[in-house]
Parts: sequence; C-alpha cells; structure tokens
Amino acid sequence: MNTTEEKIVARTEDLVKVYGEGSASVRALDGVSLALGAAELTAIMGPSGSGKSTLLHCMAGLDRATSGRVYVGDVDLGSLDEKRLTRLRRDKVGFVFQAYNLVPTLTAAENIALPMDIAGRNPDRAWMDGVIEAVGLRDRLRHRPAELSGGEQQRVAAARALVSRPEITFADEPTGNLDSRSGAELLGFMRRSVGEYGQTIAMVTHDPTAAGYADRVIFLSDGRIVDEMRAPTAERVLDRMKSLGS
Amino acid sequence: MWKATIRGLLAHKLRLALTALAVVLGVGFVTGTYVLTDTMNRAFTDLFRDAVAGVDVYVRSHAAFAGPSAETERRPIPERLLETVRGVEGVRVAEGSVAGYAQLVDRRGKAVAPMGPPTLGVSWTTDRTLASLTIRAGRAPERPGEAVLDAVSARAHGFGVGDSVTVLFQGPTERFRVVGIAGFGEADNMGGATLVAFDLRTAQRVLGRPGALDTIEVAADPGVPAATLRDRIAAVLPPGVEAVTGRAVGSEEAKSLQEALSFFRTALLVFAGVALFVGAFIIFNTFGILVTQRARELALLRALGASRSQVTRSVVAESAIVGAVASGAGIGAGVLMALALRGLLAAFGIDLPSVGLQILPRTIVISLVVGIAVTLAASVLPARRAGRVSPIEALRDAEADRPTSLRTRSFVGGIGTVGGAAALGAGLFAGAGIGVVGAGVAAVFLGVAILAPLVARPLARVIGAPFARLRGLTGRLGRENAMRNPRRTAATSSALMVGLALVGTFLILGASLKVSLGKAIERSLRADYVLTAGSHFTGFSPALAERLRGRPEIAAVSEIRIGFWRKPGSTSLRMVTAVDPATVERVLALGVRPGNVAGLRPDEVLVSRRAAERGRIRVGDRLDMEFPASGTAPLTVAGLFDEGGLVGDYAVSLAAYGRLFTSRLDSMVLVRAAPGRAPGEVRGVLAREIGAFPSVRLEDQAGMRRQQEGMIDQLLGLVTALLGLAVVIALLGIVNTLALAVFERRREFGLLRAVGMSRRQVRAMVRHESVIIALIGGVLGLGIGLFFGWALVAALGDAGVTELALPTAQLAVFLALAGLAGVLAAVLPARRAARVDILRAVTVD
Ligand SMILES: Nc1ncnc2c1ncn2[C@@H]1O[C@H](COP(=O)(O)OP(=O)(O)OP(=O)(O)O)[C@@H](O)[C@H]1O
Ligand SMILES: [Mg+2]
Repeated sequence: MNTTEEKIVARTEDLVKVYGEGSASVRALDGVSLALGAAELTAIMGPSGSGKSTLLHCMAGLDRATSGRVYVGDVDLGSLDEKRLTRLRRDKVGFVFQAYNLVPTLTAAENIALPMDIAGRNPDRAWMDGVIEAVGLRDRLRHRPAELSGGEQQRVAAARALVSRPEITFADEPTGNLDSRSGAELLGFMRRSVGEYGQTIAMVTHDPTAAGYADRVIFLSDGRIVDEMRAPTAERVLDRMKSLGS
Repeated sequence: MWKATIRGLLAHKLRLALTALAVVLGVGFVTGTYVLTDTMNRAFTDLFRDAVAGVDVYVRSHAAFAGPSAETERRPIPERLLETVRGVEGVRVAEGSVAGYAQLVDRRGKAVAPMGPPTLGVSWTTDRTLASLTIRAGRAPERPGEAVLDAVSARAHGFGVGDSVTVLFQGPTERFRVVGIAGFGEADNMGGATLVAFDLRTAQRVLGRPGALDTIEVAADPGVPAATLRDRIAAVLPPGVEAVTGRAVGSEEAKSLQEALSFFRTALLVFAGVALFVGAFIIFNTFGILVTQRARELALLRALGASRSQVTRSVVAESAIVGAVASGAGIGAGVLMALALRGLLAAFGIDLPSVGLQILPRTIVISLVVGIAVTLAASVLPARRAGRVSPIEALRDAEADRPTSLRTRSFVGGIGTVGGAAALGAGLFAGAGIGVVGAGVAAVFLGVAILAPLVARPLARVIGAPFARLRGLTGRLGRENAMRNPRRTAATSSALMVGLALVGTFLILGASLKVSLGKAIERSLRADYVLTAGSHFTGFSPALAERLRGRPEIAAVSEIRIGFWRKPGSTSLRMVTAVDPATVERVLALGVRPGNVAGLRPDEVLVSRRAAERGRIRVGDRLDMEFPASGTAPLTVAGLFDEGGLVGDYAVSLAAYGRLFTSRLDSMVLVRAAPGRAPGEVRGVLAREIGAFPSVRLEDQAGMRRQQEGMIDQLLGLVTALLGLAVVIALLGIVNTLALAVFERRREFGLLRAVGMSRRQVRAMVRHESVIIALIGGVLGLGIGLFFGWALVAALGDAGVTELALPTAQLAVFLALAGLAGVLAAVLPARRAARVDILRAVTVD
C-alpha cells in the first residue's frame, strides 16, 4: 500500500513480540509489517492493549522483538549490540513519552540540548533557535521542569526530540495528559515540523482529533494491523474506531 | 501496625542490610576489644598463676611500686639470707634466684629487641616444684658458659641445642653454648619477653649480683599453710626484706597487667565509639530517606486511621529490630576480630597460653545495649517525622523532603557548634577533663552536621564546578544531583567528615609535634652524636661510655639514665632523668636559671620551668619523691631549667640516681667531637666502639630528629589505621544514600538511557555525584580538623608542642583519598543506575 517512490525511514517485517512464557504468555505483536515514509506524520491507533506501545518501543530500539525485523534507515536493529543501539537512539531517533519526559535537574534549554550534550556534540544554534521559536518556549528556557505546566513540558520534550534532527521521532500518547488547547498546540507543532522541516513522526494516540493531524493512520487490534487510512479526518477516524469496536 | 513494620523491614532488606552493616562494624569493634582484652587478661593471669604455682613464699627486698622498666626495681638481698630461710621450720626447700638485663644477639649480629616486652636473663631454678621454666629440649644449664633459651626466641632466630650464642649484659658481652630450650608452662615464652637462663653462679656474675639474690623462693612442708610459713619467715628477716605468699605475688603481677590492659582497652573503645558515632549518622540518614520514600505509604496508613504515635512507633520498632539484629551480628564479628588479632599477636612473637576466647556476659550485654541504643537514638528524629506525615500526602507526589525551618536549623546547629567548641576549650585549656573534651568534640560534629545542609548546596556547587567544566554533561548532572537534596547530601558527607576531621587533627598534631621536637633538639642539643638503646625501656651497659671517655677524638661524653617516680599516694608514674653534672652542659643546653647543674648534689633535683609553673614549685622547695626500690626521698629543688625534649621535667645527678635506683644502664650517651676533628673520623671511632654493643644505635643530630619523627609517624599511622574503620563505615553510608537515590531516580535514569545516554555515562554521572559528596565531607572534616588541631596544639603548648605546623601535602592526600573513597562507594549504585529497565522507567504506571 506504500507508494514505492516514497523514501522509507523505518520499517518492520513480520514483527512478533511475546511477553512471558507458557500459558501466561501474551502475544502483544503478532506479525506486524509496516513502513514509515519520510516526512510523514503517522498515527497509530487501536484499543487498549492492542500493542501500540509495544510496536513503538520495538521500532525505537527501546525493546527487542521476539521475531521479525526492525529497520531504521538501512540498519537492522536486531543486529546491533547494546552500545550501538544506544548510539542509534541518541543520534537517529527522537522520543516524546506520555509523561516523565524531562530531567528535573536541568532547565528547559538544557533538556532540549540533552541528546547532543550526551553525544558531546554542539547543537546547531540556528536550528535549535528555530525549534524553540516554533514550540513557543523562548521565555521559558531557564525554567526547570517543576516550574513548567504539563503542556509546556510536553512541548519541551517535542523540541528535544526534534532538535537533534533525528531520522524519525516516536511519540507515545504525547497529548494524553494535556487539555485540548495544550494538545492542539503540541500537535500543531508536530504537524509543522513534518510539513516545514521534513521530519518523520510516528505517534500513538487514542484521540481521533489528534489522528486528524496525521498523514496516515494505522489501526492495530490484538497485535495485528487491521486497517489503515490516508489523509484522515477526525470524523472518519471516529467512524472507523467504532466499527473496530473499541 | 506490626504487620506493616515487618513488611516494611522485608521490603527494604538490602538498604537496611547496608545500614545494619554500619552497626555491625561498630559493635564488632566494641565486642572485639572486650573479648581480646579479656582473653589476654585471662591468659596472663593464668600465666602468672602457673609461674608461682609451686612457690608458697617469696622473700625479696621491699619495693614501693614497680616501674615499667625491664630492669628489676628491687635491691638485691644478701645470699646468706638463704641459709636463714632454710633454717625456718616448715620450709621444705628454698632456692635463690636472680634476674636482670640480658639481651640476645642474633646470627647476623643484631640485638634481639622485642617491641615492648623485656629482655631477661635469669638463674635456673633446679627444684622442679619451684621452677616455672620447663625444659623442652636438651638439659638445664649446670656450669659457666652454658645457657638455656626460651622456645620462641630459639625458633625465631634459629638457635638449637649445641649452638653458641652472644648475650649482652650491663657488664661485658659474653658467649655461651646453648644446652637447652625451655618453655614457660604451656606457653613457649612469657608474654613476648626473651629469656636466657644460666646456672645461679653464672647468673649472679653476669647480671651483676655477686653474693646477692633478687628473690628466695620457698616451698612449704606438707601441711604447712603458706601464710603461716610467710609469717615464720618474716620474723627472721632483716628490715627492708619481706616475705610474700606466692598467691599474693601472682595477683600482684596480674593486677599490674590488668592496669596496662585497661588503658589499652580504653584506647580501643574510644575508636569503637568513633565508629559507632559515624554509624549513627548513617542510620539517621537511611531512616530519614526511607521515611521520605515511604511518605505515601505512611500517609495511607494515616488516612486509614493510624494515629501519629502508631506510625512513629512502627518506625522506632523497625529501628529496634535492625539494631538488635545488627548488634547480634556485630558480636559475632567482634569475636572473629578478636581471633584475628590474637593471631596477629602470635605473629609478633607474643605467645599466649592456649585459653579459649573469653566472651563474658558483660561483653554481650554492653555490645547489645550500645548497638540498640545507638540505632534507636539515631532513628528518633526520622520516626517523629514519619509521624508528622499528613494523610493528604498520600495523594501528592512525595519526592521533596520537607525542610526544617532555616531558623531552627541555624539556631540548633549554631548552639551545638559553639557550645561544643566552648566545651572543647574548657576541657583543653581550663583543665575541665578529657570527658568534657570528648563531649565538646561530639557536639561540634553534631552542630556542624546540623548546619551542613545550609552549606551543602553552595559547597557542592563550588566543589562540583571542575566536574561540570571538565566532565561535560555527566559532570553537570552529577553536580546537580549532589545539590538536589542538601539535607541528604549533608548527612551523608557528615559521616565521612567525622573520620577525616579526626585524621586531620592527628596529622596536624603529629606535624606540630615533629617540628616542635626538631626545634627543641636544634636548640638544646650541643652533642654531635647520640648513642641510644634500640628499644624504649631498656638501656645499655655503662661500659660503652667508659670506653669512649678519654679518646682524643672526643671532647665530651655524657651519660643519661631514666627512671620513674611518683608522688607519695599517687598512682601515676612520672619520669626522672639522671644527668652527669660535670659534663651535661657540654652536650645539652639546659638553660638552668637560677641555680646550676655543675653543683647539683645527690639530694637535689632540677625541675623544668613548665612543671614548676604547673605544680607551683619554687627553688628551695622540698619535693617528696617516691622511687620503686628506695621508697620516698625528700629532694631539694636546686634550680629550674628549660625543657629540651631529651630531658623530661625532672633531672637529678647520676650520683643521686645510683642512690635511688638499682639499675645501672645508660639510656643515652651524648658525645661531642673534639674540635678540629673531621666528622667522619669521629663517627668512625664511635661506630667501631659500639660494635661490641649491638643494641646501641648511633645517630647524629639529623638522625636523632629522624628517629623521633619516625616514632611519631608510627603512632600516627596506628591512629589513622584505627580511624580507618570509621571511614569505611562512612563509605557504607555513601553507598547506601546513593543506592536509595538511584532507586528514587530510576525513571530519570531510564529517560536518559532512552534518549541515548550510554551505561558508561550513567555510571560516570553517579560517580561524580558520589565524589562530590565525599569531597564535601572531606572539606568539612579537614576544616574541623584544622580547628581541633589548632586547639590541641595551643593547649599542648606547655607540654612542648610549641610550633603549629600544617602538613598541607598530607592533608591534600587525605582529601584526594576522600574523593577516591567516593569513586569506590559509587561502584555498586552506579552499576545499578546503568542497569535500570528503560521501558519500566518511561512508561506510565
Ligand atoms: N512488560 C510486559 N509484560 C507482559 N505483558 C505486557 C508487558 N507490556 C505489555 N504487555 C501486554 O502486551 C499487550 C500490549 O501492550 P501495549 O502496552 O503495547 O498496549 P497498548 O496498545 O499500548 O495499550 P494502551 O492503549 O493501554 O497503552 C497487552 O496485553 C499488555 O498486557
Ligand atoms: Mg500504550
């Protein structure tokens, strides 16, 4: 279903993830094959427990698959040892989690520069300024996370994910803890960074409105891709979710 | 509530285990000290009992008291008394014996000098019931030229039956053939002393007792009680000679040993106290952190209806259980320590008769009580804080400690610090006693520890600056983490502070002592060379000085002897130095004023200016001095002199010494080269002359200084080693705090790992935090040490510590060691931090 001329940034082949053993085992992913194209915002949806977070973790190199393959660019994550995997996360992948995104002892600005600091690289000043401007945090830079609102914290996290210009950014329910206005601000920013800066983002969400910002929506159920939708709107997504029975 | 307490304990097993270890070590030190000293006590008591087992009555000259010298303090008694005693009704057998200084020379020509115990020569007692020595190999000495050695010396220096051996005496050195090896009852030697036995005639000759005896040992006819026999014998003795039952002699000796051991015990217990004090900081800190981490759980209990006091009690109960378990383990550890130390003593050649380890009920009670009390005391504040957790906090995110109000903290801490310093001052300068000094020291530590959270943040900022600059992100984060919770950082570093403060104090005291001694030697020593005895309480034959006198290369030879005296009625011994009035001023600048040394008469004494000041003694006063052998003698104060380091506070003439003491050994001979002689030439002469006296060491001024400094360094090393345990316990504290912090911050570490921080970087971050905390402890500790050291040196000004010296390099080394300790402490927590489960950390639970 992908158009072949599109550049693929990350993909999975027949991805399986089993938690636990024997009768207590859970098949969280049951043969997921998926390709994420460059400069696209992809939303991943599905009922609770359908394997969305698991998929994201496996694709981002936070967790290892039971079988199947994950590629970021041309790199097969399964072939990487712990050190290389860490380096890949640092250099090629960005993250926004639902909560606990920031290091409490660092200021907003320091949190944004964290991945580059870890790598010992100097941030690209102009790009960083642009990102900060875009998330609207100019006057919050010297604050610590405890002094920021939940929405501001998530925007700092998004800025951090993008500032090192990763090949792909993963976001797991980034707006889950936000009110609709803060959520809209964050989604607007993510949308722009895909449209204007050519970033690639995969985002898990339960919110049809959030999915409406995406280029493409993938529907998961019981660890399998059951459907996908291009150029979604909130209404169509809502309809589809109802039909999936979630 | 009990269920909650037990669950709480089980849930924090590892953390509490580390805390408990601090108590285990401290209590172990206490137990070990008691067990070791009790065991030694018992061993020596048995030894003395065995030694006198077959002797019913001893006859000897009367002595006021026994000094620490190896040389017998009693005057000899005439040999003809033996016949008198044998004639008493009820005496089955009586034998005379002599004992004195005799030092073995090993195969390489070096004098055998045990550290502390004496080197003895004795006569062989032929009657088997009277004898305490038993032949292990060969036979008893029977004629001139024959000797028997104790088994330890024989083994250690490779002497066997048939070998020949050189022995040093007060008189000329002689050679003997070893005809036998002897043991002392079950033991191979007598408490570390070296022993050479000769037949009585030979012993009398070589030990300087021709026609005289030191004691007569008597065994009674069957059915005659020892006391009866004693009284019968006493009736025929001349004045100044006494008869004493064997039992009385045994307990006399045991008692003097007990006194020495009790000093040793007290010293060790002080260090054990320091270790427990440091342990208390760690218990306080751990319980504090646990209470904070469990605030939610405690709040829930409160919300469910638990009262404040119930919550407080549950924490107290927890600490009581930890204290009891840890003290129990500590007792076990202490017994092991005592075993190890006994092994160590054996390795040093002190062979104890095989008695079982003495674990007295008293030891167990004290150890348990101390361990539990310290744990409880340290957990009182955290427990009260636990009680104050409000039910509403169950709903809040509880990371931050609720800080004590700044004002209360500064006030209480300030009072502690200032009050402690005042007590210290009162103890040191106003003579309020050592107990007050100890309390002052503890109060200063507590006061500074209470104030420390106020300065922990800025200190961490400054100390962490190089890390932040040089180590990049991990350094910056490490510093931030150290600054994050000043109270915790402060409590953790305070534990290390105590150890380092004491180490710093002793380093400063030691350095000042060295400089002061050096200055004193420089000021007062006019001699070019000093001949000293290798070990402390022995001397060497005056024959050496005799041979040096009159040599053309040498301008002056002056002998110095030392002895002990006490004020009548007092038990503390003081030193008295004997000098040669005719020559001493050519080798020592005593600065006698008023009065003069040259005219010092045998019934006169010179007193140092500082002792005169302290004791309000004036020239012309009569000083009653009690001596071991000669009893109380009134001496007239003929003048005052400047203390010079080599001569103590009281000086008499050699003639007076001869009248008052039985020993004839020189403890030092000072030599001044003749003018115009090359130093090498004079040194060569001396080196040749002392060839016949292997126990004598030749030093020039610089060597003399080095020797004194070496002694101070040895003592410093010992003290530092004993404080080492406190430092180890403080390290445990850092490990514990870090482990708890890592547990708290596992999400944060997970996040850092998720965004690409390597394990190595995570470890570095924890390590930097640890080093910063340790360095804070180091800086605070050395700061306090500086103050204590200064106070101590100032207080000891009139005890001869005239200069204040700062051993900067050594202090810096210890600060660096503190930092290194931080690195060590971080190893395990850092590993745990690097291993956090990333997914668990970043997903919402
Ligand atoms: N660590 C784990 N151990 C065992 N089972 C797990 C683990 N993590 C997830 N699972 C199971 O795997 C399945 C998929 O979980 P996952 O977290 O991916 O779902 P999700 O789609 O993200 O759900 P939600 O919308 O509630 O976040 C679930 O059934 C879950 O119970
Ligand atoms: Mg999820």
